[in-house]
Amino acid sequence: MHNVTDYTDLVETVLAKAAREADEAEVYLSVSDSVSLELRRSQVGEAEKAVSWAMGIRTITDGHIGASLTESPARWEDCLRAALASGRIADSQAWNGLPEPVQFSREIDTFDSTLIPDAGTATDLITALCNAAEGGEGEIAGGGVSLGRGSSLIANTHGVFYTRESTSASASLEVINGTSTGYEFDHVTYLRDLNTERVAKEAMFFADYWAGAGDIESCTADIVLTPSALSQLIGGILMPALSGRNVHAGRSHLADKKGEPCMDSSFVLYDDPYVGKGATRWDADGVATRKLDFIKDGTVQSFAYDLRTAYRYGETSTGSAVRSGAGGAPAVGVHCLKLDARRDNVREEKAICTHGLIGAHTANTITGDFSVELSNAAWVENGEYGAPIRSAMLSGNLFAMLADIAGAGEEKRELGRMTLPEVRFNNLHVIGKEQ
Amino acid sequence: MATEEPRYYDLRHLVGTSTHIEIENGTIEAAGQSFADSAIVRALGSAGWGMVIIDNFSEAGDSGLKQAIADALALSRATGERVELADVQTGVLPVPAIKEDPREVSLEEKTQLLASIESAARLPGIVNTRAHYVESEGTFRFMDSSGNEYQYESLRSGYSILAVAEKGGEMQQARESEHSITGLNMRHKEGKAREAAERALLLLSAEPARGGTMHAILDPELGGVFAHEAIGHASEGDLVKEGVSVLKGMMGQQIASPVVTVVDDPTLPEFGFMPVDAEGSALKRTEIIRNGVLANYLHSRETLAVVGEGVAGHARADGSSFPIVRMSNTFIENGDATMDEILEGCKTGILLKGSRGGQVDPGRGVFQFNAEYGYLIVDGEQRGMVRDVSLSGDILSTMHNIALCGKDRKMTPGYCGKGGQSVPVTDGAPHLLLKNAVVGGRHA
Repeated sequence: MHNVTDYTDLVETVLAKAAREADEAEVYLSVSDSVSLELRRSQVGEAEKAVSWAMGIRTITDGHIGASLTESPARWEDCLRAALASGRIADSQAWNGLPEPVQFSREIDTFDSTLIPDAGTATDLITALCNAAEGGEGEIAGGGVSLGRGSSLIANTHGVFYTRESTSASASLEVINGTSTGYEFDHVTYLRDLNTERVAKEAMFFADYWAGAGDIESCTADIVLTPSALSQLIGGILMPALSGRNVHAGRSHLADKKGEPCMDSSFVLYDDPYVGKGATRWDADGVATRKLDFIKDGTVQSFAYDLRTAYRYGETSTGSAVRSGAGGAPAVGVHCLKLDARRDNVREEKAICTHGLIGAHTANTITGDFSVELSNAAWVENGEYGAPIRSAMLSGNLFAMLADIAGAGEEKRELGRMTLPEVRFNNLHVIGKEQ
Repeated sequence: MATEEPRYYDLRHLVGTSTHIEIENGTIEAAGQSFADSAIVRALGSAGWGMVIIDNFSEAGDSGLKQAIADALALSRATGERVELADVQTGVLPVPAIKEDPREVSLEEKTQLLASIESAARLPGIVNTRAHYVESEGTFRFMDSSGNEYQYESLRSGYSILAVAEKGGEMQQARESEHSITGLNMRHKEGKAREAAERALLLLSAEPARGGTMHAILDPELGGVFAHEAIGHASEGDLVKEGVSVLKGMMGQQIASPVVTVVDDPTLPEFGFMPVDAEGSALKRTEIIRNGVLANYLHSRETLAVVGEGVAGHARADGSSFPIVRMSNTFIENGDATMDEILEGCKTGILLKGSRGGQVDPGRGVFQFNAEYGYLIVDGEQRGMVRDVSLSGDILSTMHNIALCGKDRKMTPGYCGKGGQSVPVTDGAPHLLLKNAVVGGRHA
């Protein structure tokens, strides 16, 4: 098992060389080991081990920012040259320096020291997953278990040298019953939290319950989006609109709405970078992270900024840089997004509840308009599932929906970098397929 | 205890460089290169696949390869499914000639060319313009325990331009992109940028589409996405093998209108071209549907051995990822209908143009895709522009509803995601008339 601290000498060598050729430099290093098993029906068909190593170098000279990435320690000099060359072409921008080191007062909890990515542990988990799926009518079509352990490091020529360790365990299952499919997954930091039984039972329930699904007529109905369905729209439409870069570049629907009530008065959205799977004390620029209120009482409070965007537009970094840019460069993102609204029993009154959306990525990311196919959708009433719906389309506008929220459920679910409840939206247009 | 030997192993190693340029609102945001060096070693033990993915594999040497094979073999002991591999033809096609090698054009010049495209989109009323250039070049080395060994160079490049228009607080966007395997394609493309900008401006006054069941005409770009989403994925042998395709057990059956022939052809010199597939199999044009009858599944060696009824050579991998069954260049063949006949056949309905992508649940047999824009068709004539229009349907019923195929097939490059991997593809079709399509829109 390798760790970023095995490469401390290399990082210092790169920074020393870079400091001679640029005003400032930064090295970001990420290494990981993982083991995963993949199911083909109910048998393991693939066992995979991945050993990953990647280093990003960023240089800044007179406001010219350059970046490059390599998967080979031996090519660090090529990588540094490419970063410097990149900086010579990129336009100069206002730049007030990479961050200085700070002391962190809080710890984060992203590492399970007992989690070792090995095939034996993965085999035990996948056996438990398959056993828990027995008893239903549906058959296992696929799925898997994955265990990972990684570490990352950021260091710059101002003395920043931070490391972070993380672990992950995930399980997924796909079940089919005729032409009814069910899929569920879990993804956690601590091995002990991985709930293979819930994954199996839910996937089996989806496949079996929807085996008897029928069509509906087109109608206007309240829609309950479960966390997995809602996260697709929030991630694809709302979060880009809250990126400071998109706001200033003329690509955000919310650009002129800061301080204005534009969503339901109970709607809350914030990034709490200390609690969740994406928890980190420092962002991809090496800036200390902090809680960031995006929306409070239905009013936009702030946008997210990385260092580069903040300097350019005279703002302050919100510690929101993540490593998602080209060439391993930082870009604006979130760490542990939390969403909430007024609590209500969202399945009490009659509504259509959907667990998935097919084609959410085809939404108009600027206007918020979307038109998607529902997946595992059913009528709900009095807190119980009613008739399952075989196929229907949902059309709407996410920004308009967020201004007309009926309520949010009690229970929340963490999905990737988001934690969210299921949310009920008023009066949406559903196109049914009943002839 | 005797040392276990793998029944089979192979190595796929990529060493390459990617170039990225990004310009937004006249500012060069980034222009640089990154370096990849990653390999996958697969081994078959007594049951299934064990595999090891290693970054920085160039440093590994022969001892590293031997260790990786041993590690993969050890991992394979965790598998239970006995994997067999079909015998296939091997061989590598020549890589299509490159017209202008982007590696011989300086990063500075490529940046200037992209800047010219980006600036051309800055028409009055356009509030944001964003252009990207991506180039990936590398050498793939493949070897297996059967004695096959190949090495080939891969070079892909392309640009995209996005324009955002704004008026009175309303915003709309439009995008154009072109990707190629035959060299640099950024010269004299300012017209494409203006097309994107003009369309974004037009969309400001377009009406939201009305949803419902209606006749739809699909343009060649969207028709290609339809072929890819509605048919292509469901014909992939791994999905058929695992029982999550509605096309399972339907070989030889009439699953589409007789005017429909759907092909996946990795040998075509299009963006989805590859000289050899990711497990060394030779490539072959594969008719998935011939005159409406399901004719072939797309296969890897493994799925061909289990499922049969199809053609291997369709295993693809994103970099050093595990090879899975994928499409390459997928299209609906030309028919013989003229555009006038298609408009007349539609009479009243909607013409859908461009694509914002799509998705399919092949097990349920339900697909969805979104057009960039469209036009109402009234009395066989094209009328007002509409926006945010999508289409969904059931594979098995929708394919019978293709009433007419035009004779103007065009291919459009793009990327396809499956199993967490993204690979370059091309989709294409002539204009299609789809009867009784379910169109999504915000109003009934």
